[in-house]
Amino acid sequence: MSEGINLGETIVFWVCAGLATLGALGLVLSRKAVHSALWMALTMINLAILYVANSAPFLGMVQVIVYTGAVMMLFLFVLMVVGVDASDSLIETIKGQRAAGVLLGLALGVLMVWGIGSALAGVAPAGLERANEIDGGNVQGIARMIFTDYLVAFEATSALLITAAMGAMVLAHRERWAARPTQEQLSKARFLSGEHPGNKPSPGIYARHNAVDTPALLPDGTPSELSVPRPLRARGDVRPVDHADMTEIAEIEEVDAT
Amino acid sequence: MSAPAFGMHLADVVPFNLPSIDYRLIAPILILMGAGLLSVLVEAFIPRRGRRPVQLIVVFVALLAAFAMVLAAAGSRAVTAEGSIAIDGPGLLLQGTLLLVALLAAMLMAERMVDPSGDAFAPRASTLPGSEDERQFTQRGYLQTEIWPLFCFSVSGMLLFVVSNDLLIMFVALEIMSLPLYLLAGMARRRRLLSQEAAMKYFLLGALSSAFFLYGSALLYGFSGSIDLPVIADQITAKPSQSWLLMIGAAFVLIGLLFKVGAVPFHQWVPDVYQGSPTPVTGFMAATVKIAAFGALLRVLYVALGGLQWDWAPMLWIIAILTMVVGSVIAITQTDIKRMLAYSSIAQAGFILVGVVAATREGLASALFYLIAYAFTTIGAFAVIAMARDSSGEATHLSRWAGLGRKSPIVATAFTIFMLALAGIPLTSGFIAKFSVFTAAIAAGDTWLVIVAVLASLVAAFFYLRVVVLMFFAEPGPETATVAVPSVFTTVALAAGATVTVVLGVVPQPVLEMVANADVFIR
Repeated sequence: MSEGINLGETIVFWVCAGLATLGALGLVLSRKAVHSALWMALTMINLAILYVANSAPFLGMVQVIVYTGAVMMLFLFVLMVVGVDASDSLIETIKGQRAAGVLLGLALGVLMVWGIGSALAGVAPAGLERANEIDGGNVQGIARMIFTDYLVAFEATSALLITAAMGAMVLAHRERWAARPTQEQLSKARFLSGEHPGNKPSPGIYARHNAVDTPALLPDGTPSELSVPRPLRARGDVRPVDHADMTEIAEIEEVDAT
Repeated sequence: MSAPAFGMHLADVVPFNLPSIDYRLIAPILILMGAGLLSVLVEAFIPRRGRRPVQLIVVFVALLAAFAMVLAAAGSRAVTAEGSIAIDGPGLLLQGTLLLVALLAAMLMAERMVDPSGDAFAPRASTLPGSEDERQFTQRGYLQTEIWPLFCFSVSGMLLFVVSNDLLIMFVALEIMSLPLYLLAGMARRRRLLSQEAAMKYFLLGALSSAFFLYGSALLYGFSGSIDLPVIADQITAKPSQSWLLMIGAAFVLIGLLFKVGAVPFHQWVPDVYQGSPTPVTGFMAATVKIAAFGALLRVLYVALGGLQWDWAPMLWIIAILTMVVGSVIAITQTDIKRMLAYSSIAQAGFILVGVVAATREGLASALFYLIAYAFTTIGAFAVIAMARDSSGEATHLSRWAGLGRKSPIVATAFTIFMLALAGIPLTSGFIAKFSVFTAAIAAGDTWLVIVAVLASLVAAFFYLRVVVLMFFAEPGPETATVAVPSVFTTVALAAGATVTVVLGVVPQPVLEMVANADVFIR
């Protein structure tokens, strides 16, 4: 029923739909997992706006709170904790798998777009008033359904959440079989290991910035690997040493010498 | 009239009718879910040494209590929980079978005697395979008792799956059933990398199939405006023209279910998962998931999509033929007994599909009988596999089974009974099951399908009987596996499996009558 859509809504739709599609493309095409995650957040926020614009405030809010908020943050946490320097192998183990995957995916896409499109071509929407007529609103309608028709499904989902929590604990919770080592033992072990026992050099010493991605410079002007956190090194996000910095350091040292 | 500053008048709120739920009829599901919650609390509050016995008591009492509730509900036909749960003959029959088979599976999972270092599960699944941590935990005799809550939740999901009357609750039940299984599959004590790989594959492919199911449900909702199976059926008869929403939706829902059943071409996960999982879990999964998934598949096909029979029957024809042929032929080439039984389970799914395609009351009854017979045989077969061992764990290579019959005649005889039943030899449950499925299919006019099925079962008989020949007609050598002496748990499970297999083959009448009385789904 296109006559029910005003100009503002049309503009919102095309802007948000475009941004959501852009985010989806970025999600698939980004090389770095963190960038993919951020692209996904863009898609989700735009979908939320579209939901709200379609008078589905509950869905829109849930989309923001649950997906954009909780799920995306969890996703980023996981990436930061484990996945930064893990790179996917791009080697095909089964010959022709990628081509077959693309082809079948396209075929499925065509089937869905054509099938659903042709099925919905002549359908007239019932309209918002009809949908809300029983309960007086979107949120009230959902509330009634959750606590009447779908009560059992709603309650049963808790078993799913408990299983998920339990599973995460079983797979990831490390228990100790021996007593926790004391500080004394740890200290002795550190010295006996023969590695450098003290603090690693902090980033930014003898450098223009003190940001974490700026390596400390050794007295001969070379950057110190140890001064930058390992994940940053693995990601290749270490800031290169600037030649201007080097000459500046030399000047400072000359001034000091005189 | 003074209006409140904000909010709504109570009078503005739409009258709220409490949902009507018949708690007596859904008691088996609630008991198992409650047992799952209780055993989570046991994990939290009982000291480590005492957990196993308490967990076992909780699990066994819950299974028996739930079974008693199923018996008490026998003969009921009701739709409850606002139309989302349908308690009827097939549903109750499958629930009862599921509970009995789960009881035997729980016994296999509780076994601690066949592996000298503990049960079939890793002492701590979080340790890296081969690490010092793993060795220490094994040495200290740690047991991962978290398997029990997972087991309870999985069984409760299955019980819910076979009585779900709408697509939403069916989806939730599917996930409650599967999620614990993904975890249990990855927790084997021996060959842990294989086990973890199995869990990963099961999880990823299972998630994909769930997505298909969910997408299909959404499209069916788009077509009919409801997710209730009976309403979908009404809409199919009410709307004269065929809709693409209906076609694609029905196909996607069926793909999701056929994946769980393990039908070709959705079978790729089966061999790896069956081989990698701890053997008690393989037995549990092979028997119960098959029952639950076929229960849901039958309900969707007969209740919701009955009016579409002319559309899905040809598709299921092709899938049934592919499943039988691919399963039987590839099983011949297998050298690992767990993989062989995995392909055998694919072939058996094909035989059950022959009964499903018939789409008659006899077809439904025969498929139910087949499921009962198959489940008990399978759990028994995996009990034997868990017992045939060497110093490094289970000896699953077929060559290790050569001469086993001379070394351990009783266990080998039990395994022979299971193999004969799976092959469909007379005087075992498998024969009656195949016979009734094929009769139902012929009565429904699917003669060609039955001819293919008979040929496939001839091929299948070859690899089942090959194991029997290998066990009894080869000399035991130094490579022959040793059969570990089990505790009462495995002994009871094995004996029960063998007894049911023989009894259903010799005096099948009571159970045949039972399935014949339970051959109509409630609408």
